Parts: sequence; C-alpha cells; structure tokens
Amino acid sequence: MGWTALFGRPAKRTTWRSGAAALAGLALFAVGACSSPSPSGGGGDEGQDTFTIGVSNGFVGSEWRTQMLDDVRTVFDTYKQQGVVDELVVESADVDVNGQIQQIRNLINTGVDAIIVNPNSPTALNAVFTEAKQKGILVVATDQAVQSQDVTNVVIDQGEWARRSAEWLAEQLEAGDSVGVVNGVDGHPANEARWAAARQALEDGQVKIETVTNGDWDQATGQQVTSNMLASHPDLDGIWTQDGMALGVFQAVKGAGKLDDLVLTGEARVGFMRQWADQRQQGDFETIGVVNPPGVAGSALHIAVRMLQDKQLKSEVVSDGNTVYVPIPDVVTNENFDELWAEVQDEPDAYALDGTISAREADTYFR
Amino acid sequence: MTRPSALSAGPLRPLLGARMPTVATAVLLVATVAASAVLQDGFFTPYGLTSNFAAVLPVAIVTVGQVIVVLGGGIDLSIGTIVTLSSVVTVQLVAGQPDRLPLALGAGLLVGVGCGLVNGLAVAVVRLQPIVATFASSFVFAGLALLILPTPGGEVPSLVTLGYRQVIARAIPVPAVLLLLLWLAWRAVLAHRFGRHVYAVGGNEGAAYASAVPVTAVRLLSYVAGGTFAALAGFALLANSGSGDPFLGNSLTLTSIAALVIGGTRLSGGAGGAGGAIVGAVVLVLIQSLVFFARVPTTARELVTGAIIIVAIALAGLLTARGRGAGP
Repeated sequence: MGWTALFGRPAKRTTWRSGAAALAGLALFAVGACSSPSPSGGGGDEGQDTFTIGVSNGFVGSEWRTQMLDDVRTVFDTYKQQGVVDELVVESADVDVNGQIQQIRNLINTGVDAIIVNPNSPTALNAVFTEAKQKGILVVATDQAVQSQDVTNVVIDQGEWARRSAEWLAEQLEAGDSVGVVNGVDGHPANEARWAAARQALEDGQVKIETVTNGDWDQATGQQVTSNMLASHPDLDGIWTQDGMALGVFQAVKGAGKLDDLVLTGEARVGFMRQWADQRQQGDFETIGVVNPPGVAGSALHIAVRMLQDKQLKSEVVSDGNTVYVPIPDVVTNENFDELWAEVQDEPDAYALDGTISAREADTYFR
Repeated sequence: MTRPSALSAGPLRPLLGARMPTVATAVLLVATVAASAVLQDGFFTPYGLTSNFAAVLPVAIVTVGQVIVVLGGGIDLSIGTIVTLSSVVTVQLVAGQPDRLPLALGAGLLVGVGCGLVNGLAVAVVRLQPIVATFASSFVFAGLALLILPTPGGEVPSLVTLGYRQVIARAIPVPAVLLLLLWLAWRAVLAHRFGRHVYAVGGNEGAAYASAVPVTAVRLLSYVAGGTFAALAGFALLANSGSGDPFLGNSLTLTSIAALVIGGTRLSGGAGGAGGAIVGAVVLVLIQSLVFFARVPTTARELVTGAIIIVAIALAGLLTARGRGAGP
C-alpha cells in the first residue's frame, strides 16, 4: 500500500521491459559519470594563492551575452597565465529567477572564490547572494546592478550612456523641434534609468517630446512601432532610441522615405553601422552610436580579482554604497566613424562594439 | 475502480495515453540521486541538501497542482502565471513586515483560488477547450502581475527567507519538511470523495456522469485546487528568492507538465498521482544540476538536459504502448 500510495496507482504488471528501462536509465547516468572529469579540486580557497571564478549568466538568447562570456574568458586567460586564477566555472543557460538561484547555489557548492553574475532580477537574488557572502564568496554583479549590499556592482552608468545620445540629438535640432522616442521595456531598471536621463537631456535642450513608445529592445518591434509613429506624427523632427532597436527605427524611416527629414540616434553595433556606412557614401547622413560594452563583465573580473587579493576599493569610485561605474569606451560619430568601422566591419551584424578596462586602469580603482 | 480502457479519441491517443510505469520513475529517482551523490561535492551536507530541496519545493508544489487538473481530464497552461500573480500580490502586501504576513499570505491564497475559479468556470461551465482557455487566461494573469508589480522589487521578511533555509537537527532541511507536508496534503485530497471523483471524471467522463458523479463541479474544483497549489508554490518561490519579480513563476507551467509525465501521470487524465509527480520534480531539478556538475560544456548543456528528459519520457511511451498492445 505504501508503495502504491507514494507513486500513484500501480502499473498493471511489471514486465522485463521495466527492468530493461531501469538498466538503460542507470547506464545513461553511468556514462555521464564516467566521461566527466573529476569534480574535486575545484575550490581554490584555504589560503592558496590561486582563485576559482564562477560565472552565472541567466539569458543566452542574444549575441551580446555570448560576446560577454567570451570577454570574461579573455580576461581570465591573462590572469591564468600569471598564475592568479586556476579555473573558470561558467553557468550559462536560459533560466528564470528560481533557475538562476540554483545556478548560484551550484557555484557555491563547487567551491568557487568569486561569482560574477549577470542577474536576471535586481532584487530576487538577494537571499542567495547573502548565502554566498556567508560562505565567504565574493559576488560581483555586472551589466545589471542589484540592490543587495552583499554584492559589488561593476556596470556602466546607464543614465550617462543614454544622456550622450540625447544631448547629441538636442544639439542637432533647434529649440521647439519635436522628437519621438522608442524605448525598451517599461519597468525594466535599465530602461527607466536610461529614459530618466535622456528625457532630462532632451528637455534641457528645449526639444519637445511629442510621443513615447516601446519597442521591447527588438529590431523588428522597433521597426513596427516606428512606422506607426511616423504615420500618426508626420511632423516629427527627430527620433531618440535605445540599444538594439536603432536598426529597426532606421529601416522604418528609410521605408517611409524620410531619412532626409529626421535626425536619428543610432547604436554601436555592426548591423547598424553597415547601413550608416552605406548612407554616408550617398550623402551627408549623420547619427551617433554610444557603445554599450559586453566587456563590462571582463572589467568586473579585473575588479573581482583585486578584491580577492584583499585590496580595498577607493571610496570615491564607489557610488550608492556598492556600485563601481566603469567608463563608456567609445562614442561613434561621423568624426571617428571610418576609423572604428575599419576595425569591426568583418564582424557579424549582431557584434557590439566593445571595451574592457585594462589591468592598469583597474589598479587605479584601488588604494 | 479499474483503469478505464476508453481514452479520448484522436491522433494524440498513443502519446496522451502513455504513462510512466512506477518502476521506471523509481529507477530514475535512484539514478539521479546516485549520480548527484557521486558528482556533486557536498550533496549530503546540510547546505547541499537544503539548496536542492529549496529548488525542488516550488516545482513540486506547482506540479501537484497541475496533477490534480490533469487527473480530472484538463490541463492548466496558466498555472505558472498564477504562481507569479499570487507572489506579486503577496510581496506587495507584506512590504517586508512580519506582522503583515497573515494578511499577505491570505490574499495570495485567495488570488490563487480566484484564478483557478476563472479557469474552472471557462472550462467546466462555459465548456471551452482547456488548452485554449488557460492559454488565454495566462496572458490575463501575467498582465495583471505586471500591473501590480511593474518593476522587480518588494521585500520578504527575513524571518521567512532565513526560516526557509533552516536545517532541523543538523540533517533535515525545512523545505524537505514542507515537501512531506505537501505529500500529506495530497493524501488528504485523495482520501476525500473529491479525490476519487477526479480520477473518475478524468478516466471516463460519461461513465462518471452515469454513476452520479457531479462532473461539472469536480472539473471546476480541480482547477480551483490547481490555482490554490500554484499560490502555495508562489510562497515557496518568495521564500527562496527574498523578493518579488513580475516574471517569477511563468516558466513553471511547462516544467510542471514535464515533471508530472516523468512522475507517471497520464496526460489524458484519470491515472497517476502526486507522489510520483513529486518524484518527477526531484528528478527534473537534479538533472539540471547534474549537467552542471558533470562539467558538460556550457554550449552543450541545454542539448544534454533536453536529451535526458526526452529519453526519460520516451521510456514511458515505449513501455506502455507495448504493454497495452499485449493486453486484452
């Protein structure tokens, strides 16, 4: 009865096939167990000089994240050659918040010394971050800042990032001109920070914000909402947009034959820059692309390694109690376009212009 | 009560009729636990046990809710969004204050019941197709969750998050105790007349109706029960994460269906149970961690996880299809 109760109703009868299935299942896991390297020896704690680094990435659907992980590996390899670190354990999969909590717990169980995390939520990982800290593990969040004071954030200033292109747009226009805005996702922390700063810059430039819409950080959606915007607001003088949608906005404006009438902000990605290059050959097209570097995660590793070596961050580089802002590497304009385009034109369209702080720059963050 | 031989007709019959044999489920459990013990350093330490049970509990609870719906011949594609909606209501009301917990938990539970009622009315009374009705309602619930908690935030009292991580007598994690309570709750459902009626309705609706089973009420109640368990899963997620997020539980819908199939519940209804489903949830969560601890390269992990789950579920299809062919 107990057996039946636990597993629901009994199978009609147990045949040899069940036994075969059982063996197959066991074999499957035995194979998995044999072919994998020994899991022991991962931890680099207990007074050793080499550190084990864990990475938790909860979203794999974009080229940007792939580039981010590559950048972390590049920085890791330089430290490995110096004998500072011994192993990089990467947890990267499309997971929900619960799944990322488990990712981080797995890293804790592996015995890493530091975890670099691109968090899926700025708040919902707080409890597991506290667990890590209690285990003596350093946690550094990158790309997206988190609230937990047990974590050091190494990010670019999203407000500053947005302000650059909004200020540029306001300069191109005259006081009283009207602009449309294509934002990302309402309620997303990066979207809110960017829009607050961009709105301020546009208002300071005495530009009229005519209409605001969301393109979900998706090129196709961005193109669709821009087409609608152009139809309903035929008198716009410019469009401000964020990362990952500028190509869609550009296509919509081009499709409507209004490239000469509107000033657009762009993005520092190869797909957009390819269109930019074409337009420059045909006329006096001008736009701006502010780099949002995937290499910020590599910068985070530079910071993490120094913190593991018990170095102290200078108080003036820390904002909001736990956030280190690294500089925005480049701003692409017509002035430096040819130079930057020559470096990246063979990359795939999804490639984002990149930048990581150097080891020497990282040293200047510490006492 | 014999297992009904008449299944819902259609081309999906062999697939939906398949059911994981109990032995296969048990073997999967033993295999994943054994593999975890070998590969995962510190699997049996208090921290290892707590972290695994803490991850299993929300999945297990939502799976039990789905099992009740599926046993009754339905399916709930909105169950993950009910988890989210209940959790955001709870986290907004509790606002980090322990003395507001009873109010917040009560409201969260009511939200779960209410969502289940909406689904139940649509399916049992209005008689919409369960897949379509609950797929549609999932957007309503997800949208409401975004309205209530537009940005991630809110704070769960540390009393709850710390309590969830406690280990009793150095070996028994709190989430494991809660898992046992979950199973006892299922036994209570089963002992009640409602439990037997659910099996009857899911197995053969016509026969159940002819035997004076209140079919409409039973189907309605199965969705209410599903929504209630979803709310409880939301509480477990909150205790695990410590804060709210408007997308917190949405992906649990498909996880719950995979777990119940591994656990031996038949997707066309009428056969299976929550005990197996809990085991299915354990197996599923352990597989995901195993792929990590086996040091499968990052790029291959999704592939390997998917392949293991498909092989596990395929065992069920192969075995039952042949078994029935040989029968009378």
